Amino acid sequence: MSTVLDQIEQQIAKLSTKAVKKNTGNIRTIADGVAKIDGLSDVMYNEMVAFPGGAIGIALNLEETEVGCVILGDVSKLKEGDEVTTTGKLLSVPVGKALLGRVVDALGNAVDGKGPIDAKETYPVERIAPGIMARKSVNQPLFTGIMAIDSMIPIGRGQRELIIGDRGTGKTTIAIDTIINQAKINKVGLASGDAKFRPVYSIYVAIGQKSSNIVRTVAALEAAGALEYTIIVAATAADNPANQYIAPYSGAAMGEWFMENGMDALIVYDDLSKHAVAYRQISLILKRPSGREAYPGDVFYLHSRLLERAARLDGKGSLTALPIIETLAGDVSAYIPTNVISITDGQIFLETDLFNQGIRPAVSVGLSVSRVGSSAQIKATKQVGGKLKGELAQFRELAAFAQFGSDLDAKTKAQLERGARIVELFKQPAFSPASIELQVSVLFAMQKGFFDPIDAKKVVVAAANMKNFFTTRKDALLTEIRNKAALDKDLEAKLQAACDEWKSGYTA
Amino acid sequence: MAAVAKQAQQLARQLFKLSVVDSVVSTDRVAGVLAYVEKHAPANAVLVLKAYHRLVSVELAKSEARVEHAGAVAPAALTAIAAAMTKKYSRPIAATSHANPALLAGLRVRVGDDVYESSVSGQLAALSLSV
Repeated sequence: MSTVLDQIEQQIAKLSTKAVKKNTGNIRTIADGVAKIDGLSDVMYNEMVAFPGGAIGIALNLEETEVGCVILGDVSKLKEGDEVTTTGKLLSVPVGKALLGRVVDALGNAVDGKGPIDAKETYPVERIAPGIMARKSVNQPLFTGIMAIDSMIPIGRGQRELIIGDRGTGKTTIAIDTIINQAKINKVGLASGDAKFRPVYSIYVAIGQKSSNIVRTVAALEAAGALEYTIIVAATAADNPANQYIAPYSGAAMGEWFMENGMDALIVYDDLSKHAVAYRQISLILKRPSGREAYPGDVFYLHSRLLERAARLDGKGSLTALPIIETLAGDVSAYIPTNVISITDGQIFLETDLFNQGIRPAVSVGLSVSRVGSSAQIKATKQVGGKLKGELAQFRELAAFAQFGSDLDAKTKAQLERGARIVELFKQPAFSPASIELQVSVLFAMQKGFFDPIDAKKVVVAAANMKNFFTTRKDALLTEIRNKAALDKDLEAKLQAACDEWKSGYTA
Repeated sequence: MAAVAKQAQQLARQLFKLSVVDSVVSTDRVAGVLAYVEKHAPANAVLVLKAYHRLVSVELAKSEARVEHAGAVAPAALTAIAAAMTKKYSRPIAATSHANPALLAGLRVRVGDDVYESSVSGQLAALSLSV
């Protein structure tokens, strides 16, 4: 007993005589989440500094007479003259599977009221992107569940595909659909017991969004059973710009943990326009020189260093990034959109006109591209949808001419009829992604002309009916397509027979 | 405005360099600088002098070990602290004593921006942050 007490007393004695060295400074000014600090002579760039009351700051501006810090957390109790100390650490966030199903803030603290997160590891928020030798080419598909995208603008694991469009064109819906589809695939794959199956975990980073929108997103993911495979990093419009600035990097760190540990992850940055605006605000308050549209000179690096962290690593996992950019009046030539377009491996462009015409998802086939191309597609999709993009492009061109009302030859009419049906076929309601085997089946039916006798306006209903038919009555065939991932003669014959069966039972 | 402040800062830095002898701020040199500025007032003299004041005060703080204590501190302890800090920073450092009952017990020594915390209140603060 006395030995134990002696040990504790010795420990207390040791502590009471131990002097702790701190490098300190004092707040000179504080405004809009940015503090100018006198002192801190030993501070390093990007180092965490501790403010009174537990608030954390990051040293961003190291000047001769002062240090500029962005503050993460509650700034309302900080005042001029308060003492600030260096920590000698870089900002880190908790990572790991413990975060799945949780909503966290930019620092990885739970904000969903489900209690603390039991994360065993932390990763630094700012990390150098993987180098050239560590990377592997992108050739494994990541299915979004959206027919127009999976068949014409395929996305691969480790790719960075930009979703760009005006407000209210369905950008977030595409991202959420993709997350839901990953969850669906994960459930099927994990249930199958296939040892080679690699689930995709998702991270959704909400930057500068309304809290009500985030609640809606969480509800949609929960309703679809996708929340258990998803981490939501929320930096709402009510959060200070520093939190909005750091949130995507925190999300990237969480995604990197999956990638480094041999797993695949998908990260959605919703959206980087607001992220750039938050960074602009910080930079202006820090009195950094401003350039075009008042953005600082390093706004390109802001996004390039973030998106470069998405990769497919040799012998490890992958991190696929879906950044979102909101344009004004469809202007893709603005500063931030052109920057992010040049960084990413392609873009999905959503048009307001298409959206208003009822073509949803409003993907503009002409302006959308995936630079990874068909290498991230399974063979079956290539077989049934390889020519779709060309056909649709021809349709748009011919449709423009057809508006003049001149007589058209039979071939042109047929192309127009077919194009109109493809457009209708690609219409898909929100939050209902289709599995790749179902997409292949429907596209096969389109390729073989099963929709040709149906009035173009009724194709959506017919396609829904066909999907229902395949899901409820041809499950074995769908499983075979999923497992083979290519259409051989036997499978084609089965598909043909199934389509014939559907046709015989379907009345428009 | 930024250019004016930058010019003032540059001039203050030159004046500060003239005020330092062997890494120590010289009282005579500072008096000389102030007399010169009074005689040949530069543009934005207030800005220059404020910047000069800041540089000198930062430098002086580096030469002083400000010892805050809750109880009494023996002169020998102060001498020992001054000697240890002089050795650590490789420059002459004088220790000054300041009573601070808020520390509860122990010492806090400040040399420039560096703070050596060995007080009970400091440990309690660290403990409350870690809980």
